Amino acid sequence: MGQLRLLLQVAFRNLFSSKINLLIGGIIFFGTLLVVVGGALMDSMDSAMSRSIIGSVAGHIQVYSDDSKDPLALYGSMSGEPDLAALDDFSQLRPFLEKHPNVKTVVPLGTSGAIVTSGNTVDLTLSNLRALYKKRDEAGETPELRESIDSVKGHVRQMVNLMADQTAKSEQELGGAQKDPAEVEALARARTDAFWDAFEEAPYSALELLENRIAPQIPDGDMLELRYAGTDLDAFQRTFDRMEIVDGQPVPTGQRGMLLSKFFYEEFLKMKSALRLDHIKQERDLNQKTIATDPDLQRWVKENQTQTREIIFQLDPVKTRKMVERLQKLLGSQEPALDKLLTQFFTTDDANFDTRYAQFYSELAPLLELYRLRMGDVLTITAFTRTGYMQSVNVKVYGTYQFKGLEKSAMAGALSLMDLMSFRDLYGYLTADKKAELAEIQKQSGVEALSRDEAEEALFGEASDNELVAEATSSDVDDQAAFIGDQGALTRENLLQRVYTQQEIEQGVALSAAVMLKDPELLEQTMVELRQAAKDAGLKLRVVSWQEAAGIIGQFVLLGKLVLYFAVFIIFVVALVIINNAMMMATMQRVREVGTMRAIGAQRSFILGMVLVETLVLGLVFGSAGSLVGSGIMALLNSAGIPAGNEALYFFFSGPRLFPTLSASNLVAAFVIVLGVSAISTLYPAFLATRVSPLQAMQTDE
Amino acid sequence: MNPTASQSSIVSITNVTKDYTLGKVVVPALRGVDLEVHAGEFISIAGPSGSGKTTLLNLIGCVDTATGGVVRVAGQDTKQLTERQLTNLRLNTIGFIFQSFNLVQVLSVFQNVEFPLLLQRKLDKAQRRERVMQLLEQVGLASHAKHRPNELSGGQRQRVAVARALVTRPQLVLADEPTANLDSVTGQNIIDLMKELNQKEGTTFIFSTHDAKVMSHANAVVRLADGNFLDRISAAEASRAMAAGGH
Ligand SMILES: Nc1ncnc2c1ncn2[C@@H]1O[C@H](COP(=O)(O)OP(=O)(O)OP(=O)(O)O)[C@@H](O)[C@H]1O
Ligand SMILES: [Mg+2]
Repeated sequence: MGQLRLLLQVAFRNLFSSKINLLIGGIIFFGTLLVVVGGALMDSMDSAMSRSIIGSVAGHIQVYSDDSKDPLALYGSMSGEPDLAALDDFSQLRPFLEKHPNVKTVVPLGTSGAIVTSGNTVDLTLSNLRALYKKRDEAGETPELRESIDSVKGHVRQMVNLMADQTAKSEQELGGAQKDPAEVEALARARTDAFWDAFEEAPYSALELLENRIAPQIPDGDMLELRYAGTDLDAFQRTFDRMEIVDGQPVPTGQRGMLLSKFFYEEFLKMKSALRLDHIKQERDLNQKTIATDPDLQRWVKENQTQTREIIFQLDPVKTRKMVERLQKLLGSQEPALDKLLTQFFTTDDANFDTRYAQFYSELAPLLELYRLRMGDVLTITAFTRTGYMQSVNVKVYGTYQFKGLEKSAMAGALSLMDLMSFRDLYGYLTADKKAELAEIQKQSGVEALSRDEAEEALFGEASDNELVAEATSSDVDDQAAFIGDQGALTRENLLQRVYTQQEIEQGVALSAAVMLKDPELLEQTMVELRQAAKDAGLKLRVVSWQEAAGIIGQFVLLGKLVLYFAVFIIFVVALVIINNAMMMATMQRVREVGTMRAIGAQRSFILGMVLVETLVLGLVFGSAGSLVGSGIMALLNSAGIPAGNEALYFFFSGPRLFPTLSASNLVAAFVIVLGVSAISTLYPAFLATRVSPLQAMQTDE
Repeated sequence: MNPTASQSSIVSITNVTKDYTLGKVVVPALRGVDLEVHAGEFISIAGPSGSGKTTLLNLIGCVDTATGGVVRVAGQDTKQLTERQLTNLRLNTIGFIFQSFNLVQVLSVFQNVEFPLLLQRKLDKAQRRERVMQLLEQVGLASHAKHRPNELSGGQRQRVAVARALVTRPQLVLADEPTANLDSVTGQNIIDLMKELNQKEGTTFIFSTHDAKVMSHANAVVRLADGNFLDRISAAEASRAMAAGGH
């Protein structure tokens, strides 16, 4: 007792007596600080990201077919969509998985990517006009209809004029070489009064000219890459409770339909000018950037000033007039030209931005279509089937959704949701509907039995004459109706209305099953047990954790942790060497003291104890100081939150800010590491100290 | 040597040699020394520089081992003892007073004196306290118990060292030139203190010195020359010899 107290006293008093100890203490202090703060940050990020991944699409466990060529990658992989074998019948898989006591829910999933064509403004306006003429042909003309037709016609004419003006301008600037003379001629013709005077006589041929010759000259028709997950939408909503509907409504139970990711809807379907305003606002408000200093913001302002066509094209003459009036009032200007007014309006700086932003949404936006797609519109999705055919499916977009806290995350917003039926169609599997359709073809074409390949080709084929599959724009529908016949059209119409039973939804192909657990702590164990169960049942299944299922993304935090631990390792190896050397020096400095103790009767074990206790005290004191400061920093960060800075980080932070927490395990880990390192680094010096001879006490060097 | 003599001897040295090897050169520091020291003696070891005084004291103090011959301390042949046993022998039987005091700087005067008692683990806290204070009183530093060594003068430090050497009631105290770092008056005081303790407690003292005045307190002076035992003479003879030798 007395000895230990003495050792502690010696240790404490030696603590600040030498510079070497302070150096060692400093290293231990910063080492602990690093381990505490870094470890807590990593852990917080890890759990935030795991919440993001688990809570958005992955669940705790993903189960998919063992016949798959590639590993499952819910967020896509480097080489595109992974090649997965299908789970043939989800309705059999679900009860199998739910048998496990730790399984809470099972959701069928299939992720894939497709191209979505969104026509440009001209296309949309023209098809709108065509629809009006068609309505007139069917139902006869009413004064209201006439008014609508004239308004849209005026809009189209205005667009043509604008295009011609712009072409002339760019010709002046560029010397006008590349233009196809046929196109130039068509544009010139569409501008003449004669063309518009003759419009009513043959509206369809006039429309044709506009559609085929003029519209293609507008380059802003988009091919959008859309990633989607086909799923049991109700089960999905129940399971991933962070999911919330933002615009529109949920897809009615059992019906085909789609929920676009809000992120996708905003980023890719919103009017660019509005989107840029949103971006500027966000950067200013959230990240305290200024237009004056930030090049990105300046670029957006510039783009808004120059790229006003998207707005101008949208406006028919009436709306154009209104817009001009409003802008003149807002800007206090007499300028009559809309493009100049818009440019002036979008000339924003840090002083006027917030006002302009508010004005845009309150005054200008009501005159505009802010999104290229409205809730309730039918979206045509074109995808390559598993067998390589081009396949298109029309899906009604009911709404947009987001995951709470991940609103701004591109990663969480990467997936739009779709019903399983449409997904199966796109993926190229025979659904009951397809089978019925196939039977219809067989009946009509008089072929008794088609081979499966032929049938698939007929159903999913791209260039076949059997235009069974509805394609994008409504304008085409009438033409195809001739091929398909009334019945086919009816079928398609029915498909969008039809209500499927839960059994129909589940009896069929899915690519994977997301499994939510009751107790996430038992993840590993549950995985092992599910694997065993699958093996026992003769099911060829792969069972992977959310982390694996997330593909590259799942590796990110792992990578981050590795980097941290590697840094910690390096730091501590360096610390080890420094502490070791410092302790050697300290021991050498104390040779006479140690020798004296040995001479007056201290055993080697006492000397060893002395050095070790000193290191321990050093480690504990400076380690505690480090942990204390680290805890302080973490407390600060926890209350203030770390801003994600850019959207990519939202996913990893599970929200716009990470509120990191410090767990006891972080502190324990820090202490264990620090004490371990200091103990290891003193072993040799301590050994040397025990070898000091009592003869050293006799040195006379004072 | 007759056995009774060797039994009453606290130190018995027989034909001891000590060679230091410096690289390939062998330096003989002691060339066959015999010495008997009896309990209660107050002996000074004298001799010119390099004659082997320190070497001899180190052998007696069990901090070094002889090359040849037998060193017996408190009846034990030090060659036969293990490192641990030697340490225990030093702890329980021998006290050390060093030329440069060798106090532990971070410990107080009290703690420095208490240190050997803590190593011994024989006394409880109260007993230790009593013993330490008793010695501090004897060396006249009771009022300085809480001071740190660097707050004391050289003479005071050496008194603390004397107290530390005696706190375990050792049979033998060794002091290699205990006054060399002190002025002559202070050195004189230390020797007086040692002599006093020698007489009161009966502790055997062996010390080396160059100083004739210091030597004069000794019961006997053992003279070494070039690693050889020269003679054992009285203090008076020694001071005469030194006066004659002009040294
Ligand atoms: N560690 C050592 N290594 C080599 N030679 C040594 C060592 N210690 C002492 N010697 C040599 O041994 C001889 C005796 O030395 P010692 O220190 O015992 O003499 P001393 O009588 O104490 O001298 P001084 O009066 O100067 O202290 C000397 O020649 C010395 O050089
Ligand atoms: Mg000497």
